[in-house]
Amino acid sequence: MFIAEVANRMLEIKNITKKFGDKTALENLSFTIPEGSVFGLIGSNGSGKSTLLRIISGVFRADGGTAEIDGESTFENPGIKEKCFFISDYPYFYNNSTLDSMAAFYRDFYPSWDEAKFAKLCGIFPINKKDRIVNMSKGMQRQAALMIALSVCPKYILLDEIFDGLDPVVRQLIKKLIMELVSDNNTTVIIASHNLRELEDVCDHIGLIHKGGIVMEKDLDEAKLGIHRVQAVFENELGEGVFNDLEIVSIKKQGRMMTFTIKGDGPAIEQAIKAQNPVYMEMLPLTLEEVFISEMEAVGYDIDNILE
Amino acid sequence: MFSTFNINYRSGEPIYQQIYNEVVKEISLGLLLPQEKIATVRELATTLGINPNTVSKAYGLLEQNGYIYSAVGKGSFVADSSGKLAGLRESTMKDLKKDLTNAHNLGVEYKDVIDLADDVYSGGGKQNA
Repeated sequence: MFIAEVANRMLEIKNITKKFGDKTALENLSFTIPEGSVFGLIGSNGSGKSTLLRIISGVFRADGGTAEIDGESTFENPGIKEKCFFISDYPYFYNNSTLDSMAAFYRDFYPSWDEAKFAKLCGIFPINKKDRIVNMSKGMQRQAALMIALSVCPKYILLDEIFDGLDPVVRQLIKKLIMELVSDNNTTVIIASHNLRELEDVCDHIGLIHKGGIVMEKDLDEAKLGIHRVQAVFENELGEGVFNDLEIVSIKKQGRMMTFTIKGDGPAIEQAIKAQNPVYMEMLPLTLEEVFISEMEAVGYDIDNILE
Repeated sequence: MFSTFNINYRSGEPIYQQIYNEVVKEISLGLLLPQEKIATVRELATTLGINPNTVSKAYGLLEQNGYIYSAVGKGSFVADSSGKLAGLRESTMKDLKKDLTNAHNLGVEYKDVIDLADDVYSGGGKQNA
């Protein structure tokens, strides 16, 4: 090849299927994550999040389809694996290992290892490099794994329930450090979590996974701007079909107060409602959680099973 | 650096828009002066713990609308947007006059209007309601 294919820098999930025995964990899953994006993978327990991350990182072989990074399959591909770091939901450390010995181990495998960054992180986190990792708490082990991951300066980082079991101070610190990594390396991040609230301030894209399939995948800003809630009181009964041009998700009535959830462009919606001469009207913002609930209801999914 | 920065993650308003509004507010209030250097995307992303792509999006929009300009390798600076701001203030005053006329015609008390103005101005315009 004579021309470098810069446009190929991304992570592509192509028709991935994975079965364990007769149980299907992932079914024909496809989506693309552009380079430098922070992608939140949301799903309940057992929805297939961890399985997907294990396939992307090349731990599992998919039964069908491929996971490709920068245009190459990740499975059994050392060149690609050098660019990736995966922290599983239960980070693994060798018996009797310390942070120092794990650092020495990963230093050998990753050419991009940054010793200065590791030293800096050791000054930030309250972890003794000489302590045995097995004796540390769950939260401390996660921090140790993250210190190593950040020192590797990977181009792709996969994090499974990274904020689980961490106190709010450490959680905020970790968010800042991950954002620093994205700023400095244009790293692509995939964070899997069952908790939407944990991801809403860091991600630019969110994918919802349910029963092994992607239910929806959206740019976060577009998701927020694409749906609105309007409260209005009308003097007279509304005529049949006056809002036919609007994509109404739901209407709730409480006395004379009507609450609409409507998809579409904000100003256009405001104009359409105003045209019916409401006595009172107010546009209310939706939280990301409400945006998702509305989106899910629109496609007929039972939200209770997906968000806690 | 920015003197105050309120990002509400719970809000339905996209974060990039909140950043945009905050910067415009600081420029309008004179907290940021023309030619003053503002935080880099990296600085803002790491201090607030938010996505650099989100910050870039806000900065891109600010630049497009003439509030800031960037110099390659040096960072972003506040542009002279006094003409633009004067125009915005004028059109806002017109809107305000229209709304006030409406309020007056509906029998809203003068005192209530003054109380509202006091309330907004003492809060530094932070209320979004």
